[in-house]
Amino acid sequence: MPRKLPPIIDLDVHHTWKSEADLIRYLPRKWRELVELPPDTKLPVDAIGVLYAHARGVNKRMDAFSEEGHRPGSDYETMRTQLLDKLEVERAVLTFDVGQIGVANPYLQTALARAANDWSIDEWLSIPDERLYGALIVPSHSPEEGAAEIRRAGQNDRIVEALLVTNGVGRPFGHPIWDPVYEAAVEMDLPIAMHPGGDQWVHTTQAAAGGIPMSRFEFHTLSPQANVFHIASYLLYGVFERFPQLKLVVVENGVTWIPHLLLRLESQFDAHRREFPWLRRRPTEVFREHVRIATHPLELTPKPDAIFECLEAVGGLEDVLVFASDYPHWDTDDPFFVAQRFPESWWPKIFRDNAAAACRWPTPLGPRHAARVAA
Amino acid sequence: MYDGPIIDIDVHHRWTSEQELIDYLEPDWREVVERQRSSVHLEPPALFHHTRGSNKRVDAHYDGGPPGSSYELNCEQWLDAYPVERAVLTYDIGGVSVIPNPFLASALCRAANDWSLDRWIAQPNDPRLYSSLLVPTQIPADGVREIERLGAHPRIVEALVVGNGLGKPFGHPLYHPIYAAAAEHGLPIAIHNGGDLWNTGSQYLGGGMPGTRFEFHSAAPQSTIHHLASFITHGVFEKFPTLKLVIVEIGVAWVPWFLWKLDSQYATLRRESPWVKRLPSEYFYEHVRLSSQPLEVSPDKNQLIELLESAGGLENILLFASDYPHWDTDDPSYVARQLPRSWLPKVFYQNALETLRWPSDAALLDRVPAAAAAV
Amino acid sequence: MFVDVGAAEEFAEGRPRVIQLAGREIGVTLWQGEVFALRNICPHQYGPVCGGYAMPMLLGDADGVLEVDDDRLVIVCPWHGWEFDARTGRAAWGPSAYRLKTFPARIEDGRVLVDAGPAQPAAKTAEAVAGTAD
Repeated sequence: MPRKLPPIIDLDVHHTWKSEADLIRYLPRKWRELVELPPDTKLPVDAIGVLYAHARGVNKRMDAFSEEGHRPGSDYETMRTQLLDKLEVERAVLTFDVGQIGVANPYLQTALARAANDWSIDEWLSIPDERLYGALIVPSHSPEEGAAEIRRAGQNDRIVEALLVTNGVGRPFGHPIWDPVYEAAVEMDLPIAMHPGGDQWVHTTQAAAGGIPMSRFEFHTLSPQANVFHIASYLLYGVFERFPQLKLVVVENGVTWIPHLLLRLESQFDAHRREFPWLRRRPTEVFREHVRIATHPLELTPKPDAIFECLEAVGGLEDVLVFASDYPHWDTDDPFFVAQRFPESWWPKIFRDNAAAACRWPTPLGPRHAARVAA
Repeated sequence: MYDGPIIDIDVHHRWTSEQELIDYLEPDWREVVERQRSSVHLEPPALFHHTRGSNKRVDAHYDGGPPGSSYELNCEQWLDAYPVERAVLTYDIGGVSVIPNPFLASALCRAANDWSLDRWIAQPNDPRLYSSLLVPTQIPADGVREIERLGAHPRIVEALVVGNGLGKPFGHPLYHPIYAAAAEHGLPIAIHNGGDLWNTGSQYLGGGMPGTRFEFHSAAPQSTIHHLASFITHGVFEKFPTLKLVIVEIGVAWVPWFLWKLDSQYATLRRESPWVKRLPSEYFYEHVRLSSQPLEVSPDKNQLIELLESAGGLENILLFASDYPHWDTDDPSYVARQLPRSWLPKVFYQNALETLRWPSDAALLDRVPAAAAAV
Repeated sequence: MFVDVGAAEEFAEGRPRVIQLAGREIGVTLWQGEVFALRNICPHQYGPVCGGYAMPMLLGDADGVLEVDDDRLVIVCPWHGWEFDARTGRAAWGPSAYRLKTFPARIEDGRVLVDAGPAQPAAKTAEAVAGTAD
């Protein structure tokens, strides 16, 4: 098959530990003393759990287990074979699985976020593969702790974004209580990345409006809702007015809701703008400038060009979209599948240029059609 | 029988109309609100019907405004009718702090405080009247700023926290900056029950939303008890050793259970929260004071006394509150009949004298009018 | 009278091991060169207090800040998690009447020695203790 796609920047690759013991090892001793039992016990440590059972027992591609049977996303060789080499990924951003630390104890949550960042830097970002980059998890029960961690883990130059997932405070992410996080992100020149799911933990908020979804089907269908609300709150609370350098990358919500949000914001803004005297520009304008949306999971439409038609209703979204595979989740997107749904003129932006401008890369990207990096 | 002077720590005052409050808003917000007069609610709506159509004493209704909005009627029915030496005004009950727009909520708190100091302190110039400071809680930094703005006013005796702006137990570290500011100003924190009823992410009762006022009132202390527990479990009194906490309007009969429950779990759970360095009940006796109202009714009067005496030391903890003009207000002669005689001077006067931050200006006290005829 | 209860290497570091001595159940723990011997009856509800774990004491200065006190081992009862100082038998959570009985113990020439006192006339089991509790 002819290789028509440019080299890919994949903004959402879920890496994970083989077992929780691997993560616990990175906790400071005082926290291990609290959560660990002596090694010969049979009691599990369940620092992080799963809320919705998946139909086949695991919410990942069934072929993504490593040869030794380790969890999908936990083995570099498997990831290299199935994703980095196969899809000719130029750069991939490792985003944990999925970056939410759903414990209620605010102090333990901070400790676990730090441990997860140390684990990732130590065991993945040190791998001599120039395609691997990482997100840092922002502890989110306390915005001040979140800011401190951005300043700490953000010093590693393979870190390219700060991942804010779990809604520990229980307020929309644009609420001023989160400002310390954005101040730190801007200081470290890191975009904020957002991923759905963080509102269903620790019962501070809800992932879906109207009630608690009972099944993965229900939950997954509605999963953009919370992130869409968060995006609106960034725009309406004026986060980008206060932090003009800040960028926001939102992954794993699909794309066909974008026109809906933008049209609603446009049509309501003039009637309500008195409530927001701090906004100097129209929210939709600010959205296009500061927010990037990952393509994944791209909605399956009866006709392939329906997606394009939908997005063209508001226009200009070729500058907003960024490709993400979401490897190794069960609904991962193949880049050719995604490419077929957009005009070829959009490909360089979606697969590369928009992501190149969004994240804090330590080195410039090579020429657009460079051969892939030797493994 | 008790005929000594009374300090009443809970008298609910209110504006005669919303316009009266709006007049105290900053110009920008006033413009926003006045343009939306027909649809803006300055407080969350009442949720439960009352059997007599109002949650206030029927005789507190009058033609000029809602119950609690008339200084003259207040004097006639309460301040002049009983030997009240001092009364603390506590709004009705501060719901402006949790309307959905957090910025307007902070602005309304500021307006309410200015209104209170002008309309109820300066204008009547009645030396018996003192005010609480309504603290914005949705944006804790605004709460700090408000305490810094008005906290030194001599007629402000406590910092009142009502609406659960962040949907967190009040001992949570996100609220600590408010307590730091209060402690710095020598102001006790008062928590008035009811603020969790409004939709900020917390729940008034565990188990779900009550359907009737009866149900709602039946277990009414629950959320405030959690707030109190969280002050202890988050080590607030270790962090702010001079801070006092006044719990208002949840009655008293739960106290023995609460103290014993915390103390008996401490042996096991201290490990998880080792910053709780002392037995929980010790913090309670040292830092916490409790309004007597609504005093529970036991079939035999002695049962309540036995219950309270089983905990020990409650004569030093209780502060008399009338809760005028609510429907479950406690008449002082009733309270005097229900409690041991030896407790009365402390409950009606001495404990409040030692807890709230009264002005040291003796000239103020000299102007207290002669006590009305003893009841 | 000190009795030899075994070689030091037979005791896992920091893990209480319950032995029978002079009609009593005693939990013996070796830790950082010391040996602690405590009666295996929890004063709370008479559970097998030494049948659980031993852990370093956790302290906390400010909310959210944990510290490990490496100088203090606590015995943690498997039933309710009550913590007792391994050295003194005192309740780890603060001033309390609850206390574990301690026995003199030491390591000599690689052997663990415990003085359980005179032999009991009848086995002092937990049930017996519970039956005569005041």
